[in-house]
Amino acid sequence: MQSRWHLLWLSLCACLISACGPSSSNIEDDTVKIAVIPKGTTHEFWRSIHAGAKKAEQELNEAGKQVEIIWKGPLKEDDRDQQIQLVENFTTRRVNGIVLAPLDAQALVRPVENAQQSGIPVVVIDSGLQSESYVSFVATDNLKGGEMAGHFMAEQLGGKGKVILLRYAVGSASTENREKGFLKALESHPEIELISSDQYAGPTRETAYQASQNLLQRFGQEVQGIFCVNENSTIGMTKALREIGRAGGAVKMIGFDAGSQSIKDMESGDVQGLVVQDPVRMGYEGVKTLMAQLDGQAVEKRLDTGVVMITPSNLNEAESQRLLNPPIEDYLGE
Amino acid sequence: MTSKTKQSFRWKDFINAFGPLFGLLLVVGLFSLSADLRPVFFTGGNAKMILTQTAIVATGALGMTLVIVSGGIDLSAGSVVALSSVVAATLLIQEVPPAGVILLTILAGGFIGAINGTIVAGFRMVPFIVTLGMMGIARGVAKWLANNQTVNPSENPLNRIMEPVQPLNFWPLPIGVWITIILAVLMTFVMRYAVFGRHLFAIGSNEDTARLCGVRVRSTKIMIYTIAGFFFGLAGLLQYSRLTQGDPTVAIGLELEIIAAVVIGGASLNGGSGSIMGTMLGALIMGVLKSGSSQMNWPTYMQEIIIGIVIILAVGLDKWRQSKQQTR
Repeated sequence: MQSRWHLLWLSLCACLISACGPSSSNIEDDTVKIAVIPKGTTHEFWRSIHAGAKKAEQELNEAGKQVEIIWKGPLKEDDRDQQIQLVENFTTRRVNGIVLAPLDAQALVRPVENAQQSGIPVVVIDSGLQSESYVSFVATDNLKGGEMAGHFMAEQLGGKGKVILLRYAVGSASTENREKGFLKALESHPEIELISSDQYAGPTRETAYQASQNLLQRFGQEVQGIFCVNENSTIGMTKALREIGRAGGAVKMIGFDAGSQSIKDMESGDVQGLVVQDPVRMGYEGVKTLMAQLDGQAVEKRLDTGVVMITPSNLNEAESQRLLNPPIEDYLGE
Repeated sequence: MTSKTKQSFRWKDFINAFGPLFGLLLVVGLFSLSADLRPVFFTGGNAKMILTQTAIVATGALGMTLVIVSGGIDLSAGSVVALSSVVAATLLIQEVPPAGVILLTILAGGFIGAINGTIVAGFRMVPFIVTLGMMGIARGVAKWLANNQTVNPSENPLNRIMEPVQPLNFWPLPIGVWITIILAVLMTFVMRYAVFGRHLFAIGSNEDTARLCGVRVRSTKIMIYTIAGFFFGLAGLLQYSRLTQGDPTVAIGLELEIIAAVVIGGASLNGGSGSIMGTMLGALIMGVLKSGSSQMNWPTYMQEIIIGIVIILAVGLDKWRQSKQQTR
C-alpha cells in the first residue's frame, strides 16, 4: 500500500519537474501572433473592434506579412480577474504582442507591466490605464464625446430643463470621461438642472434596464432629458422610457455608441442623438500600431479615433452609415 | 487505536486522493496532446501562473473543506472574499501598517464566519439557508463600505503578495502561493491528527453519535465556521493583492468554484469524508483546465461546459466509490 502511494507521488513530482524544466526549443513558424483582448464579447461594439482587427490582419497578410489575430475576452464586462488571467495566459504563451481594452484602469496595470517586462508589447485601446507602461493608447477622445452630448442636450432642450445622467460603472476610464465631459458641458448651461447623476447602469443590458426602471420610477414624470454613456444603458433606458409612455421625444434621449437596437430606436423617434465612435478604426489602428512597433517603427503614444453625433437628420448620410453599419460580416466571415 | 483501524484510514486516504490525482494527470495529459501547446504549456512560467491563479480558490477551499467534511456548507465564501478585499483596501487607505491590515482582514473574515457558526449551531438552522443569507449580507456590506466603488489604495507592500515577479520563470513563486502551500500542509496534519480534525469527521459522519461520544458539537461547529471565515478572509487579502484594489463586485460565484474544488477533491456533501490533499488537487484541476483551455484558444464558454462536466464526473466517481466501499 505504502509503496504504491509513494509511487504515485513520485510520478506526480516527475510530471511537475518536467513541467518546470527548461522548455524545449520553441519550434514556431514565423507567424506573428497578436492577442486582441476586449472588455467583453457580447456588445456589438466589440464585434466592430474585432472586425477592425481582422481588417488589419487581412491587409498585413496581403502586404506579405504573416499575422494571426487571436480574439479572446471575458464573458462579463466586470470580470476583472478573468481579464487579468487572459493577459497572463497570453504573456506566458508568448504571443508577439497584445492589444488590450482594459476593464479597469488600476487592476490591469500590473499584468500589462509584466507583459511589457517580458518583452511583449501592449497597445491599449478604448479605455485608459493608470500607467505609462504601454506602447500606445488608441481610443476615442471620450471627454470630447461627453461634451458633445452635453451641448447637444442643451440645444434639444432649448437651454432649460431637468436632466438625468446614468453612469456606467466605477473604474472604467472611458465612460467616466464621457460622464465628466457631459457634466462639464452642462456647466455652461446654468438653466439645466441635473436631478440625478449617482446611479450606475452596471455591466449587462439587464442591470442597465433595472437601474433605468428604478430611476424612472422616481423621476419619470419630471425628467426632460437623459444621457446614457454606453450601448446597453442606452437600450435599457429607452426600453424603460417606452414602458412609462414617455419615449418618442417627450424625454430627449441621448446615448453613446450604436448597436442595431439603438438605431431602430432612433428611427422610431425614441432616441434623439447618439454619440458614435469608430470601433472598427480602433481595432484596426490598435493592430497596425502594434505591428509598427514590432517592426521597429516609431509610434504615437496617443491616437484619437474620433467621435460623431448621429441624429435623425444625418442618420442616412454615407458617413453615418459607415459608422453605424460597419461591414463586420466582410471581415468576420459570418 | 489498533493497527487495523490505522490501516483502514490510510486506505481511505489513498482512494480519496487517487481519484483527484488521476484527474489532474488526465487534464495535464489532455493539454500535452496538442503539439502547438506543449512547448508553452510545460514551462516554469506557466506552472507558476496556474499556481498563482489557483491560490485564491485553494485558500478558500481549505476553509470550505472543514465545513463540508463536518456536513455543512458555506455559500457566503465569495461575498466574504469580496468584503475582506474591500476591508484590506480601506484599511490601507487609512494608512494602517501592513501587518495590522493582514491581521484585521483575516479577523474580518473570521468574524463573519463566527456569526454563521453561531446561528447554525446555536439555533440549529440549516447552513445552506444561513450562509445564503450571509452571502447577501456580506456582499451588501462590502458595497456599502466601498461606497459602491472600487477602493484604490496607493502603492504598498501588500500589492506584492500575489505579484508574479519574472512571469516567464518558475522561481520565485509569489508569497501568496507559499502561504497557501504551507497552510495546506498544516491543515493536512490538523485534519488527520488533531482532536479538532477527528471531531470534524465525527460530526460529519453522524452528529448524534458524535454528541453521544462526548464531542461538544455546538462549540466545535462555531469553531469550524470561524476558521473557515479566517481562510476566506485570507483569500480576500490575496484577491486584493491580485487586483491591487478592493472590489466589492469581485468573486461573484467564487463560492461555487470553491465548493467544486472540494467536491472534485473527493469530499461528500453529506459530510464525513474529504481531504485537504484532494481539495488542493481539485483546485489545481480547475486551474489547469482554465488556463489550458484558454491557451488552446477554446472560447470561454467551453471552459465553463468542461468544468461543469468534470464536477458531475467527480461526484459520480464519488458515488461509485461509496457503493464499492459498502459492498466490501
